[in-house]
Amino acid sequence: MRHAPAFPTDSLMTHATPAGLPFLGFGLGLRPPHYHAILDTRPAVDWFEILSENYLVPGGKPLHFLDRIRADYPMAMHGVSLSIGSTDDLDFDYLRDLKALAERVEPAWISDHLCWTGVHGGNTHDLLPLPYTEETARHVAARVSVVQEFLGRRILLENVSSYASYADSSLSEWEFITLVSELADCLLLLDVNNIYVSAFNHGFDARAFIDGVPAHRVQQIHLAGHHNHGDYIIDTHDAPIIDPVWELYDYALARLGPVSSMIERDDHIPELAELVDELAIARRLAAPYLAQERAA
Amino acid sequence: MTASRLRGVQESLHTYLLGEGDASAVRDAIVDDARVGAERRLKIYHDAYRLRLIEALSKAYPNLFRLLGDALFERMARSYIAAHPSGYRNLRWYGGELAEHLAAALPQHPIAGELARFEWTLALAFDSTDAPVLGGADLAAVPPEDWGRLRFALHPSARVLDMKLNTVAVWKALDEDRAPPPIEETASAWLIWRKELNPHYRSLDPGERASLTLIANGACFAEVCEALNGDEAESDAAARAAGFLAAWLGDGLLSRL
Ligand SMILES: [Fe+2]
Repeated sequence: MRHAPAFPTDSLMTHATPAGLPFLGFGLGLRPPHYHAILDTRPAVDWFEILSENYLVPGGKPLHFLDRIRADYPMAMHGVSLSIGSTDDLDFDYLRDLKALAERVEPAWISDHLCWTGVHGGNTHDLLPLPYTEETARHVAARVSVVQEFLGRRILLENVSSYASYADSSLSEWEFITLVSELADCLLLLDVNNIYVSAFNHGFDARAFIDGVPAHRVQQIHLAGHHNHGDYIIDTHDAPIIDPVWELYDYALARLGPVSSMIERDDHIPELAELVDELAIARRLAAPYLAQERAA
Repeated sequence: MTASRLRGVQESLHTYLLGEGDASAVRDAIVDDARVGAERRLKIYHDAYRLRLIEALSKAYPNLFRLLGDALFERMARSYIAAHPSGYRNLRWYGGELAEHLAAALPQHPIAGELARFEWTLALAFDSTDAPVLGGADLAAVPPEDWGRLRFALHPSARVLDMKLNTVAVWKALDEDRAPPPIEETASAWLIWRKELNPHYRSLDPGERASLTLIANGACFAEVCEALNGDEAESDAAARAAGFLAAWLGDGLLSRL
């Protein structure tokens, strides 16, 4: 069931809460095959990002392990079905469930994607790109403000990987992201792999993207592997992060300073220890920027 | 770009993704290029939509996948996807009508629908609502002469399934990576529930099936004994009912007095 917003959305455009969000360090996506290894070995992972939808279930194992792991690790909540860019009404049933989960998890923050997933109540279960125009940015920002008001906190929006772009687009993706985040006063989750993938697919400069986003709004970074088909790249999260993406991560940190970072692996999930090792690369790359910040 | 234009672009792209691949209504909205081209770019999304849902179904139905094999499973999944666009926020719930779809799509293989129903019910038990579980001590606190008045609530994960075939034996063989037995017609009732975080199942004889149904409908223990009485002598019925009760407590099947 869908509901129209219960209050006018235009007065919320200036809604703001102080960021005041912590630096969590270096994390991993929480995935069911790792539940036991996490509890048995207490790996050197600073925090976990959960896929919110995986825990929007009535009970049983998912929530049991969520609570036990949460007792030992900070968490952030990451959603895939907010569909913030859709022209459907916002789904307040979903938002209520999300808010209830946030009360249980007490996450450091809540994120979703700058995309849309369907219309007419349907869900393609894909993160579809938006046309990058001022009007679209205003449409999205008004909805972000409603969501932030409802959840009582600022949310992070993530840039998606895309394989197609719209003839209507008049802004670059980073101009669009900047506009949305400033209109809605929201935070950003920069997926460095997605920047690499989209830059390759659309032929733009990945570094110009990183240079173009508002640095003070970037609260988190995603890292992941992908699959290169030769003339395009598909974002698969099924492989280790490639060197050019690590180089782009280093470039991002040089501009942004240390940002809470995590690795997403959703397919061909290896042993936990392998991902902990991969996370050490992020730690090593971030070390000089952390040292600089401490010195300053 | 007006709001109605954004709506129109989203509607035509979504319609294209659900459809059979005719991109004519949406192609002009997508930037064309020499390297990949608008049609192939759209096709990446069109293919990904189906592959994602096929994968979700194969994860929800691992032993149905083994039963049907790659090719038939994929054919069934594709026809299901064409008939059932997802409206779920969570892919977890996609696939709940697959048993009915298979019964209609594969009438010559009724095992497929029954096995799907069994597998889906196990998944429902896996993450259904949590509830307290009654133990022997809870019952010991009640004097035996008061048992007749007791009403129990079943654990929310508990479901009863009636099967026409030896579906559970087939499912078990597939689950253990063994060759399944020949399919036979044999009526049986099965209890599926969650115990200590994991789905469990066991068969029910007609008396226990009827007793559980009474309990689920709010009958008190005396009514359960009375119903069993129809089949056998009164003292035998009381002993059988007490035996069921002990088994239910051992199974963690009762959540409330
Ligand atoms: Fe990401």
